[in-house]
Amino acid sequence: MKKRLYLELENCIGCRSCLAACTQCGGHEERNRNYVYDVNPLVNRQTMPLMCLHCVNPACARSCPAQAIQIHETGAVLSALVEKCIGCQNCTIACPYGIPKFDTEQNLMYKCDLCIDRSKDGIPPMCASVCPSNTLQWLTDEEIEAKQKQFNLDNGKWVTSMPYLEGETNVRVNLPGILQGVTKLF
Amino acid sequence: MQTNTSINKKTGRSINDAFASKFAKSMFLSVSALVILSFIGTRMFTHVDLNLYGYMVGTIVFIGGFFYRFIAWGERPPTKILIKKGLKLLKRKSTPKTAVNHLGIYDFIKNRGLYRWVQHILIGWGCVLACMVTFPLVFGWMYFTMDDNGHYTIVLMGLNLMTVKADGIIAWFSYNALNISASMVIAGVCMALHRRLKNMQARAEQKFIYDFLPLYLLLFISITGLLLTVQNVFLHGWMQPQMSLIHQFSVIVTLIYLPFGKLAHIPFRPVSVFARNYREHYGDQAMKECKVCGDHFVSVEQSNDVINVLGVNEMEFNMQDGFNLAELCLPCRRKYRISRFSGFATHQVKVKEANQNAKG
Repeated sequence: MKKRLYLELENCIGCRSCLAACTQCGGHEERNRNYVYDVNPLVNRQTMPLMCLHCVNPACARSCPAQAIQIHETGAVLSALVEKCIGCQNCTIACPYGIPKFDTEQNLMYKCDLCIDRSKDGIPPMCASVCPSNTLQWLTDEEIEAKQKQFNLDNGKWVTSMPYLEGETNVRVNLPGILQGVTKLF
Repeated sequence: MQTNTSINKKTGRSINDAFASKFAKSMFLSVSALVILSFIGTRMFTHVDLNLYGYMVGTIVFIGGFFYRFIAWGERPPTKILIKKGLKLLKRKSTPKTAVNHLGIYDFIKNRGLYRWVQHILIGWGCVLACMVTFPLVFGWMYFTMDDNGHYTIVLMGLNLMTVKADGIIAWFSYNALNISASMVIAGVCMALHRRLKNMQARAEQKFIYDFLPLYLLLFISITGLLLTVQNVFLHGWMQPQMSLIHQFSVIVTLIYLPFGKLAHIPFRPVSVFARNYREHYGDQAMKECKVCGDHFVSVEQSNDVINVLGVNEMEFNMQDGFNLAELCLPCRRKYRISRFSGFATHQVKVKEANQNAKG
């Protein structure tokens, strides 16, 4: 059963568990690969996570001269292969979301790989396993569809795609604001 | 196909017209070069070691695979740009230093861990040493003659390089170069295997075919090679001809596999020197300013190259509010995305991004 990472952005409470969990994933060498941002830092406490969205047509891999960024059969866009990455940083500049991180000392790019050793076997990625507020969830397409039915939508749209993102992605992101009026269980 | 015909329309004859493809041209030139060098090295083919002809055939098959892989790789738009500009920048003053750092002492691997650095030095230099001994012997670029009893003459490219005592130190290193390199590779491969079996970070992502197979191949080569010495020294050459064939087989299989697996990074790695030169050179020329925060985040040249490459792939990140995502520095790009999600212009708030370093 194919599951996807699904982001319910407005649930985020800014605890940064996802960042901490990311450091603990095998192969991540104790460094995190995602981001948590304050939406309006001087005014309120709303935060939102920003993860690699695993584009169907990833700009990072397209711009890589060394073919170091591979795409897994699950659709996950993997981190740079350590022996192939030549440290040109094209990927960081190509990514429309600014996700890939670069280590100048090691001459190596690293980015979210959806915890591929877990997610290839259907185990949720670290961030989704620990998120206490259900901001990051690991769901099947049917479950994502079932979620859609709970909401009253005025425009027929509920997950972001074009024009909110730059292309088709394997990660689904909800549109903030549409969850109003829904009683949450946590 | 249409782009090909338009390129071919260029008038004027060039040597390229003589070849059906880039691949054919590269193969022809390298096989010719090998033949000519061997012709010179073996004093007009009078000193060919036919015992090693299997390696000769293996090398030519390897060259075929290498060009097939390398040309396909070099045709990718980003690779093509980098190779073209990298070749132009090879004359930079910093090139030798960068090359030694990246290709000789692997400084960046040291920063990934001392253990990994030691293992890579052992494997890498072991293999280089072995190749520097093996291939000159295979193609007859180097051989030994004994004119006076007890003295070897080392002949390099057909020239008498030096005469050494058969039981002297130089001669000892010559006889044992491959034993030394085999010991280095075995030590390095054992370290690598130990890491892959024990280290949880490595275990998470490794695959048998991609990560273990090349190690086992190197181990296979080194052990069969060392066994040849053991058989000669301790067993009076027992089963030596058979083992020699097994060793030859192991080398040829590895050579054929080399351009297509993990070991392909050996011939491709020099491009990292190109990449460093490219970043330094164009970074000195002009840096691009972030449209929102004004930070210099990348050279103008590289930014344009990436935009072009993405354009070839029909990707353009023009926003409705009039700018292109390539004009934003990375933190601003992330904040801009948050603003697309939330509707509030996070990237316009002049606050540094919050703590992103939560430790587990």
